[in-house]
Amino acid sequence: MLLIQQVVNGLMLGSVYVTVAVAFTLTIGILNFLNFTIPTLFMLAAMMGWSFAAWGLPFGLTEPLAWPLALALGVAVAIAASLVVERFTFRYLRTKHGDSTEHAIPLVSSLGFLLVLENLVRIGYGSDAQRFPGPSADLTLSVGGLFFRIPQVISLVVVALIVLGLAWMMKSSRIGRGLRAIAENPDAAGILGVDTRRVVPVVFMLTGLLCGLAGSLFAVNYGEVSPQMGEDIGSKAIAGMVLGGLGSLWGAVAGGIVIGLIEMLTIHFFGADTVQATVWGALLLTLMIRPQGLFGHNAIGKGKL
Amino acid sequence: MSLEVTGLEVAYGRTRAVRGLTLRVEPGEIVTVLGANGAGKTSLLRALQGAVKPAGGQIVYNGHDLTGQGAAARVRAGIALVPEGRQIFVSMTVHENLLMGGYLRGDDKLNRDVEAIYDRFPNLASRRDMRASVLSGGEQQMLAVGRALVARPSLVMLDEPSLGLSPLFVERLFGLIREINAEGLSILLVEQNTHMALETATRGYVLELGQVTREGPAERLAADASMAEAYLGGGADPAPAPA
Repeated sequence: MLLIQQVVNGLMLGSVYVTVAVAFTLTIGILNFLNFTIPTLFMLAAMMGWSFAAWGLPFGLTEPLAWPLALALGVAVAIAASLVVERFTFRYLRTKHGDSTEHAIPLVSSLGFLLVLENLVRIGYGSDAQRFPGPSADLTLSVGGLFFRIPQVISLVVVALIVLGLAWMMKSSRIGRGLRAIAENPDAAGILGVDTRRVVPVVFMLTGLLCGLAGSLFAVNYGEVSPQMGEDIGSKAIAGMVLGGLGSLWGAVAGGIVIGLIEMLTIHFFGADTVQATVWGALLLTLMIRPQGLFGHNAIGKGKL
Repeated sequence: MSLEVTGLEVAYGRTRAVRGLTLRVEPGEIVTVLGANGAGKTSLLRALQGAVKPAGGQIVYNGHDLTGQGAAARVRAGIALVPEGRQIFVSMTVHENLLMGGYLRGDDKLNRDVEAIYDRFPNLASRRDMRASVLSGGEQQMLAVGRALVARPSLVMLDEPSLGLSPLFVERLFGLIREINAEGLSILLVEQNTHMALETATRGYVLELGQVTREGPAERLAADASMAEAYLGGGADPAPAPA
């Protein structure tokens, strides 16, 4: 029974990885750009949510309403920050040098944003972990001896809805077709009137939204936020994305869940110290057997902007 | 509905690919642009399509000055390009490719126009939900033309459309060009297949080193002895000139 409980916990943790991994895979798949600011956006949403709540913002509201609104503001900050990153890494370099993916520059400058933003938050709030005033951990649901924390169940549903919505958008909507067209052949997309200056910011807004939601879910479910909270989540999400296959939405979903399960089961059987070894060991093993990842295909990464 | 290009200059760094080019496409015309590799044909089309900003000159379509504008403005003004190498989206279905042709259209008649493309190309209709990668070269060219038509253009520009097609498909392609022209669309055709191009076109321009060196009615260009020598591989021989 304890083992099944760990599987449930692994799914919960995996859903946070899934959300961040989907953000990674979106920019890789469409722009061929590994966006290193993603872990920071995750942290930023949670830290800003915490600080808004700590200041009694928004609008002096008290409990049940205060923290969800504070987190919504945190998500808004993450989206705004993501658009700033787009403006000053991707677009600036593209207009300056024509083809920004030709160089490692956007990657390095997004790494710069990661460090700058993380340290700004550290300067502002100190590096200590903060207690997030979320819902009480007592809100649990017991089904057949298994415990489900209600916020986690809600989080799981939210993540599922987001992923399904995103999958629908990419497959069936006009903007989704435009994004896929840019991913496959930016020149041909341009000929048909897809304006990359308008479409690319959509990718970055979605990135901010996904990271913001993931950060909020983490804050609510684990009750703790810190300026370095993005580091571990970010690397695990990258592991999940690579495991699932670069640029594949469902790959990121599967990879994120698998990483969450591996983490929880490793803790169950071998203790917390061995988590990094098993997660990255599993990733390397998968890559040796299937270099394209579980759901990846070879066309990914060819679309350059 | 005429395209007027005046004194067009296209430069890549210090290389001037197009030098003071003047060209006109009147409504209902099929105009062909001929020239050897490196004569500036592709640079001309890239400027017309909005992929490169001209270093000088003017591009006016239908009274709209498009010179400094991007590709989307061209599509909105009614200019569609069938690019060299077809450039269809092989990871998308045939149907999605056609919908991409109408990317900028906000109207509800898009589906009706896509169905009209299927009526024109039954081969595409039977493969509408398959990936475009399964199509043959000729079918991919039909898809590229169909995709351009979904934008409901008044001028279609084709860049080397016969490249890599079998002789049978080349015949069908030029038949198709005449067909859409008969429906009222103007055509700007850039071709290496000089023979077929001059047979189909009403007027033509010959580019050399980025400049127009000859222009006139297609029959006269075809009859021009030096023209034949330079581009038809020596007079009456119907084989296309070696690239």
